[in-house]
Amino acid sequence: MSHVRVSLYATLRRYIGGAASIEVDIEPGLTVQDVIEQLGVPPGQTRIIFVDNRAADLSKRLEGGEKLGIFPAIGGG
Amino acid sequence: MAVIYRIDMSEQTVRAEQPGQSYRELGGRGLTSTMLANEVAPLCHPLSSENKLVISPGLLTGTGAPCSGRLSVGAKSPLTGTIKESNAGGMAALALAALEIKAIVLEGKPEDDTLYRLVVTGDGVKIEPAGDLAGLGNYDTVARQFEEFGDKVTCISIGPAGEMCTSAASVAVTDVEGRPTRHGGRGGLGAVMGSKRIKVIVIDPTGGRRPKSADPDAFKKAARKFAEALKKHPLTSETLPTYGTNALANVINEAGAYPTRNFSQGQFEGTEAISGERQHDIIVERDGMIAHACHRGCTIKCSRIYVDENGQYVTKGPEYETIWAHGADCGIDDFDAIARMDRLDDDLGLDTIETGATIGVAMEAGIIPFGDAEGAIGLLEEVRKGTPLGRLVASGAEVLGKTYGVSRIPTVKGQSMPAYDPRAAQGIGVTYATSTMGADHTAGYAITANVLGVGGNVDPLQPENQVELSRNLQIATAAIDASGLCLFVAFAVLDDQNAMDAICEMFAALLGRPFTADDFVGLGKEVLKKERQFNAAAGFTSASDRLPNFFKTEQLAPHNATFSVPDEALDEVFDFVE
Repeated sequence: MSHVRVSLYATLRRYIGGAASIEVDIEPGLTVQDVIEQLGVPPGQTRIIFVDNRAADLSKRLEGGEKLGIFPAIGGG
Repeated sequence: MAVIYRIDMSEQTVRAEQPGQSYRELGGRGLTSTMLANEVAPLCHPLSSENKLVISPGLLTGTGAPCSGRLSVGAKSPLTGTIKESNAGGMAALALAALEIKAIVLEGKPEDDTLYRLVVTGDGVKIEPAGDLAGLGNYDTVARQFEEFGDKVTCISIGPAGEMCTSAASVAVTDVEGRPTRHGGRGGLGAVMGSKRIKVIVIDPTGGRRPKSADPDAFKKAARKFAEALKKHPLTSETLPTYGTNALANVINEAGAYPTRNFSQGQFEGTEAISGERQHDIIVERDGMIAHACHRGCTIKCSRIYVDENGQYVTKGPEYETIWAHGADCGIDDFDAIARMDRLDDDLGLDTIETGATIGVAMEAGIIPFGDAEGAIGLLEEVRKGTPLGRLVASGAEVLGKTYGVSRIPTVKGQSMPAYDPRAAQGIGVTYATSTMGADHTAGYAITANVLGVGGNVDPLQPENQVELSRNLQIATAAIDASGLCLFVAFAVLDDQNAMDAICEMFAALLGRPFTADDFVGLGKEVLKKERQFNAAAGFTSASDRLPNFFKTEQLAPHNATFSVPDEALDEVFDFVE
């Protein structure tokens, strides 16, 4: 059994009780979408996704050991 | 009838002028850059009597359009030597527009060191001696004006940095609460105001009314459409009011583009402690304020009010750029210390981006160690004391870096880079290199497509497509800066055609003639053309449109990235200018 570390940001933290990140056990081959759905995060609320600091989308398949960073729509300046 | 006031500080006279054809349909950066291009010798010394400081609200300011209260301040920059437009929120643009003042132009220079203030009302502009304000911070300066004139006025002022004419000096504008928290920061325009010995401009909008549109009903309809588009976009309706601009910290850090310890790494281990999420929680716990508008009529409300552990006011925000500059770039993760520094910058009248980056270079130089928050505060206190070290801290990263033999100085055309490393966000790197403003992020905010997924997606780690991205954004931004609209409306504009249509419909209703997206692009291109021509005459060449070499050779963790957009490609950004 592998796992990934999922960091959720801004309004998405409410889905993991306000925590900044959580470790999730996965079967290799699951997608980013599978993982966040497991956490109860509606995929439609996500906008910016990083896997190991590189831009990715919901369909990216994971092997285990990756760090995910998931954001809603963010902007600033 | 709209008026331009020319304040000749050599002769101590005020002249009211009806704008001629060439200025009548311009506002904001469109007016400041056009006036400077027409009237200022590109080779003049920025602190001499030949330079002019042009202060102008945008074309839509005061019309009731949402988020349209931005003020443009323009001059030849003492920091960069280029033409410069610096943009601020706060209440001054609205006050000027209410009096139908298209611009206040400060010209000439007094022979002696006497300080003055300007008092602007519906009856005109008075020049009055203000020696009693000498050496005061912005907070005390404006407090005295409110005491004398009441709450209805708004103030544009400089702090001790501007009085000393140091190149990172800002122009402060008071906000809805009357605090000097919104700054035309970039490029040292506070020094130009100081060189003309004007400490504060007090504006009383009493008796003013809204500028008249040619078609008021059409304008109202378009403004409503615009408001709806802003409400629909999650960024302008939810994330920005809740978390403010510093929501970016964690995103940029995840992307590996968060410049850390003077641009030596792309991630900071202390990011969570200085993140927008943490800032939100601190402010809510301590009963500060989130979702705060810096000017009346702003629906985005990205500002906030920061208080200390006793609930006492410290400063606004602070903003993402400020927190980065005094935080990650200096290796500091103490939020309260960063907030104190923001307050000091505002009071001294300093550009927070430039000043934080300068402290980062000071740390690289070994003046104080990285991470030393008290030491950083000490450097700002040197500015207040006016010591030689203080003057260096207030003169920007390039000058301080040179005097201490630092070779890694993150500037372009003398201006410090803001909070995105160009090696991991190459689109913003193109903007840094080529913008007429020097290393500037708002001038062509490629982070939208490089990182945020707004207006498309362009891989930040590859050189392809960055030139087109930067060029289009530089053009659009020049037009937005001329309109008086806050640049944050761009988040909605880039994703929703209705927002762009609404802006054009507002312009058309205001001007009484058709105005399309092509006209909007044309406006942006015209402004940039004038700025490029000024800079060329001021001695800038394609050699100035480059990043410091170490960005091409030094690899940035975590991506081991270098800036790889070729020089020939950079020279194509302004291919629309002959």
